[in-house]
Amino acid sequence: MTLVLFLIVTVGSAGIALIGRGRAGVAVTAGLLGLTGATVTAIAIDPTIVIEVGGSVLATSAYARLFLILGSTVGLALALVGLAAGSRRDAPAVTLGTLGAMGLALSLPDPRIAVLASTAGGLLGVLLTLVPGGGRVGATVGIREIRALIVAGAMATAATAWIGRDLSQLVAQPVVFGLAYFAFGLAVAVRFGAIPFHVWAARLTDSVPESALPIVTAWGPAAFAVVALAWVDSSVAPLLVDMDAERAIILAIAIATISLAAFAALIQDDIEHVVGYSIIGDAGVVLLAIAALDPEAWAPARTWILAYVVARSAFAAWAAAMRATFFTGRVADMGGWALRAPLLAMGLGIIVIASIGLPGLAAFDARMQLVDIALDPPLQGLVFLATFLPLLYYGRLAAIGVVRPDPALGGESGFVGLPRRTPMDRTGIRTSAVTFWTANRAPSAVLVSLLVAVLALTVSAGGFGGPAAAAGLPPGQQGPSEPFEPGPVPGVDESFPADESLPPIDESFPVDESPPAVDESSPVDESLPVQESQPVGASPSP
Amino acid sequence: MNPALAGVALAVIVGAIVAVSAREARTAVLGLAVALIAAPAIADPVAATSGMAARVVAAVLAVYLLWVAVRDGEAPTGGSRLGWAAEAALAAAAAVVGYDQHGLGAAGLGPAIAQAAGFALAALAVAPLITGRDVLRVGIGLLLLMQGALLVAVGLDGTPSALEQIITAGLIVGLGGAVGVLATAARRDGSDGFALSADARTPTRRAPDAPGPGRRLRRRPESLPLWSSDTFGTSDSAGDDQP
Repeated sequence: MTLVLFLIVTVGSAGIALIGRGRAGVAVTAGLLGLTGATVTAIAIDPTIVIEVGGSVLATSAYARLFLILGSTVGLALALVGLAAGSRRDAPAVTLGTLGAMGLALSLPDPRIAVLASTAGGLLGVLLTLVPGGGRVGATVGIREIRALIVAGAMATAATAWIGRDLSQLVAQPVVFGLAYFAFGLAVAVRFGAIPFHVWAARLTDSVPESALPIVTAWGPAAFAVVALAWVDSSVAPLLVDMDAERAIILAIAIATISLAAFAALIQDDIEHVVGYSIIGDAGVVLLAIAALDPEAWAPARTWILAYVVARSAFAAWAAAMRATFFTGRVADMGGWALRAPLLAMGLGIIVIASIGLPGLAAFDARMQLVDIALDPPLQGLVFLATFLPLLYYGRLAAIGVVRPDPALGGESGFVGLPRRTPMDRTGIRTSAVTFWTANRAPSAVLVSLLVAVLALTVSAGGFGGPAAAAGLPPGQQGPSEPFEPGPVPGVDESFPADESLPPIDESFPVDESPPAVDESSPVDESLPVQESQPVGASPSP
Repeated sequence: MNPALAGVALAVIVGAIVAVSAREARTAVLGLAVALIAAPAIADPVAATSGMAARVVAAVLAVYLLWVAVRDGEAPTGGSRLGWAAEAALAAAAAVVGYDQHGLGAAGLGPAIAQAAGFALAALAVAPLITGRDVLRVGIGLLLLMQGALLVAVGLDGTPSALEQIITAGLIVGLGGAVGVLATAARRDGSDGFALSADARTPTRRAPDAPGPGRRLRRRPESLPLWSSDTFGTSDSAGDDQP
């Protein structure tokens, strides 16, 4: 019931916020209250419950619970940063809807239904693309976003249906297994906006505020990736069939994403685009996990996903706080930011450690393990080095931060982003509160972004029991998946399983192992048709 | 082959052909309505009443949300450049392939006709998704693609459970609503109907930021950030702490 409570709070609050969106106060209040309620109900989730609903099962797990707690907490923080730095009134509602869909997707043992839930949750994101006064541009960006979402969802739906049955019933050529795996792998790549499917995600940063960007491009796709990992681990990885070709393509996408997205982030003029490409780049590591096809990748992949979504959310919150503090998102105009806003500099430092990591941190070790499992030397070493490429764009931001601003170009000096006291009017508490909030928006954004950065570092270090939860079984599964060899193709392999309609073989009857005696003297009738192979259990030819 | 299922599948495919061929937006939406409303019935055994009802209501609601955007009939959609006959031939070919390859290498747990209809819908969706130049046409392609994938899943894996039907209903309503909202937004912006914006096709730079009150202007002329007109506070309205 605790999961149901979470779903009711998230979906109900999202509905109220959307119905009341005509009045911004109602929408924002409902959203913030809903996110607070979501955090509380996520903490209350019992990780061991199994509920049967409508012929299917909802089962919670420690990992799903931690994912939802972190998602609700970060969602609340991003909504607060958005309130201070500027966002859309629909952002909290979209966050709530996405959380509800994530709760369903992570609790459904049947990947076919989980894919549908995850896809449905992503649809709310289009509300964030609608730019006031620029409907056509927003609609174009939005329709391209849902095109990626639905194409990914359709591919994953078909793939899960194909290998969703009892594996012992499947009799097919390995190539079909490979195609199903490839379809789901591509679906994850499309959903994350991995290179070369990144155009829609890159354009999304033009219209979605930075504080809401991780909800659309990181959290929703991450839940989809967790479903994909569970499906791969239970349905594809145990198959003893060769899938090298499909793996190679997904690995190529992962490596291209890891390396090229970092360079793309490096050359961007706007900090929103830097955030957008940084989210895409780290998703490449998730694709490595999909390509690994090894049960050993299960725990590090899920550990990385937790660290990734929180660290990227922290970076987005930091970018929003930068905009609130310096009134610009243009990197070139931020000269001296680190000198003028030491708290923001501290925040970026924490985010760098949380996202890049240090040896011994859970996220760092998980990323290293994934590279080791997915690749062989010498590519292994090169890709591991490529995962440090984000240091380039972090370095660029830091370098600009310590350059003295040029007064001739409008550069200013002095500390910014610090709390300010405003006059207190005892006769007008409301007016005083509004004045105080207005004067302290930037410091509020800085403070909340700093808290999210600390949360990211904690998760990256393995806090909150993340690695232990990540190593747990997916919902509804009783034990680790066993290796399985698919059945042979009928009519091709002689070990084709026997027809169950035939009477069982009496095992006690002595079987003559020696080959049957052939009467060499008997003439062979050449006119009779020759049967090339006769599967065991198949009906004899007339 | 079950004749009743075949008849329903035929209706679904014909509705989809109309949806992708018609240039009159209302006709296209009506064709889509037929496809979406009839599609849940293609299952053997037929889905439980609660799930079936959810799917039908969802289809009606999704189509209504699209209808809101097109009901005045003033804005056309792209339609098929090859005409309905070419689309019908494509759908027929795809349906034959889907029927013939039922189970895709294994025994399918659902009816072959579901897979045939699913293949037809997916094939019809390809052109709008790749070459569509307006929100409505791309949106119709998305709905057909998703419905096609769902039908293929029914053909492969059998009748969905009630929970799956309910979540699918949410997905269909969400998709219809999303396309409807986007189509309405496009229509309200200028006189190009549902056409996509050319500006969004190429990488763009975010508009330069506004200075805070009393702040010196930067090098270039500046304008408000894209979302400044929304009710949420923006960085620009929070400029009181600027020197």
